[in-house]
Amino acid sequence: MALDFALIAHQESWKAASDVLGVLRGPELGPIPQEDLKEIFPWIPPRAVCHIDHASVLGHSAHGVYIDSFIPPDRLGYEYRRENIERVRAAAVVAMNAGARIVSLGGFSSILIEGDASHLPQTGETVFTTGNTLTVSLIVQGIKKMCVLRNRDISEATLLIVGATGDVGSGCARCLAPLVNRVILNARAIDRLRSLASELSAGGTAVDVAVDLQLLSVAADIVICVASLDSPTLLLGRLGRDAIICDAGYPKNLSPVGALEGCTVFFGGLGQSLGGMTFEPDVHRVLHRHPFPNVAQGCMLEGMVLALEGRFEPFSQGRGFITTERVKEIEVIAARHGIRLAPLYNGQCSLERA
Amino acid sequence: MEVVSNLNRSSDAQGNSLSATALIWQDVLAQAVTGEMIAVLNYSSLAQICEDPAEVADALEHAEGERGHARAFTAEGKKLGIDVPNNVEAKYWKRIRAAFLRQIEARDFIACLIIQEVMLESFAVASYKRVGEVASGTLGKTFAAIAAEEEDHIGHAMSILKAERSLDPQLFDEKVHAMHLEVMTTLAEMLAREDKDGHCELCHGSCVKASLPQVGLTSSELRGVSLQHYLRTLDLLGLPGEVTLKWVTKLPV
Repeated sequence: MALDFALIAHQESWKAASDVLGVLRGPELGPIPQEDLKEIFPWIPPRAVCHIDHASVLGHSAHGVYIDSFIPPDRLGYEYRRENIERVRAAAVVAMNAGARIVSLGGFSSILIEGDASHLPQTGETVFTTGNTLTVSLIVQGIKKMCVLRNRDISEATLLIVGATGDVGSGCARCLAPLVNRVILNARAIDRLRSLASELSAGGTAVDVAVDLQLLSVAADIVICVASLDSPTLLLGRLGRDAIICDAGYPKNLSPVGALEGCTVFFGGLGQSLGGMTFEPDVHRVLHRHPFPNVAQGCMLEGMVLALEGRFEPFSQGRGFITTERVKEIEVIAARHGIRLAPLYNGQCSLERA
Repeated sequence: MEVVSNLNRSSDAQGNSLSATALIWQDVLAQAVTGEMIAVLNYSSLAQICEDPAEVADALEHAEGERGHARAFTAEGKKLGIDVPNNVEAKYWKRIRAAFLRQIEARDFIACLIIQEVMLESFAVASYKRVGEVASGTLGKTFAAIAAEEEDHIGHAMSILKAERSLDPQLFDEKVHAMHLEVMTTLAEMLAREDKDGHCELCHGSCVKASLPQVGLTSSELRGVSLQHYLRTLDLLGLPGEVTLKWVTKLPV
């Protein structure tokens, strides 16, 4: 049977990997012992883990599969890049062989190939989207909502984007730069930083660039962490009083307790489907650890949204091409099918009551 | 990794005293020879239920081929100064052989091919390839060459099995699952970190698994490559990946 969509992803931790395989094993067998899991997991070839039905509020639904690339959670680093690209390619072949019409690449998968579809196998009927445009939309919506909830005037804010030159980071910068007082762009590649800074400055925004967060002297009121930070403490001393921090990395590691006490941390880039999603076998709660139902990452939702819309096209591709117009467009399509910003959450509790 | 030529020197220099690594290879070779002898028995049994004379000839030819592999492994043992035992009555192999004979009794040619070509050969090809990569000299070459030969004749069986699946995928997949529960469960127990049921009845002393790193192998890697090869073979047959994943996650560890 041909599929409307496929999602390619990986597990963020050994706990998550254990939980997914635990669901497949069933409660009678219990989880695979950690030592055995770490020995077996890396050898599993990419394959579908579950089927997904995603209902639109318009009444129809799209059918797809979730494909795990089985990248071991402790081999996400740059030194494993080559083997991980091979895994993503193999996962893409699985999606194509299953007849998926559109494939969403999870955040890490799209980072690996840097949105360059030429890294993927010849696609035939299957198209690939990184899913980054909807992710940007949901991050931006989350920032705006959090500012309202915390009674902040966004136009007075200094915005710091960590991982600013990536596809999601630069998209967020384009969407939010016209709304804030000042933008600080952080990333490792100085040339790309300067290029993005000059693009944003041309629009009239005050922009600074910083390759090293430690050398940053300006305090940020709003922070978007697109890249997973090695440690939340890297932000210490670079935050304004009661800063708002959007953790949009994967895995998310800016816990609200401890080092960033006093700040408001929330998980960004998550959407909620009002039409509902059904996973078979039911690994949804394991894949998306969120207290509210039908929540998923924006990059995953983008493929489903486009399938529901019947737009089987590479909506998000390449790096650095996400514009405010494209973000608005995907936002409108998503809203038409009942996909909206997920209730704000920080890994411990809902932030919506404040 | 100790090279085989060193083992030979050690063996020559010390007369009958064998190096620790030679004893490890003895256990590795014992598993290989026994596996090949099980294949000889299986193909010989298969010949008895084939109706097409060409298939009979094919099965007997495979049996001879597997016997040749067993001889080649035994000869490699001799070069290391060791006698390689084989024991088709060793507990895991005996269970696998019994599972195969049940399908012979049922005259189920397809089930027999699934056991021998999909399950046992996946295990053989993947583990021989790995041994072929780490063992130097003729030992490594022999393992690599036999892995290639085994892979070669799987191709013919795969085309038969693919054609069979195309007739009734659900029935075919159910049959593979039934064989999986019998045979892969046993192979998984054999490949597990430790023998929970006690001695495998092939190793010369205690279980060889803990000693494998001394010759550049690990039991975890052998288990990993075998399961990977098995899953890929099932993928090639067209079985849904999400279904076979579930099967494999339920295997004993």
